[in-house]
Amino acid sequence: MYKRVLICLAIVAIVSGVTLAQQTPPPKTHLKVGDPAPDFTLRATDGKTYKLSDFKGKKNVVLAIYVLAFTGG
Amino acid sequence: MSVDSVPANREFAKQIGITFPLLSDFKRTVVKDYGVFNEEQGFGNRATFVIDKEGIIRHIDEGNVAIDPTTAVEACNALTHKKAATP
Repeated sequence: MYKRVLICLAIVAIVSGVTLAQQTPPPKTHLKVGDPAPDFTLRATDGKTYKLSDFKGKKNVVLAIYVLAFTGG
Repeated sequence: MSVDSVPANREFAKQIGITFPLLSDFKRTVVKDYGVFNEEQGFGNRATFVIDKEGIIRHIDEGNVAIDPTTAVEACNALTHKKAATP
């Protein structure tokens, strides 16, 4: 009897896990590797303004987008 | 970069001891251009784009995968080595 309950619980756990995973699919950008990166001009915490195209021919750039400040990332 | 204001990012950087500048996309234009805007929540989803010197995207990490910078670092190393091979 206990064994049957445990199996049922396990199935429920697996199904919920799958459902949760389906509810939060990874976001998909329309951009692909090989595409030109859209240019941008943004203000930064050091008071300066940074333009992506200013780095053209000079430096590789990593654009790391984090969800919100004061969170884990 | 995030959609937080410059003052919010400045305080965030101070709290966690970040010394490099953080960019603010307060108007949400860049997160939209890069296809990572979360309309329901109003912020940019987590993502990392590695862009080479010619302005071409060479690597993309999206979602929770982007928490771990290993693959982005590898992409950067590949670009650096490419530069070394063809000066």
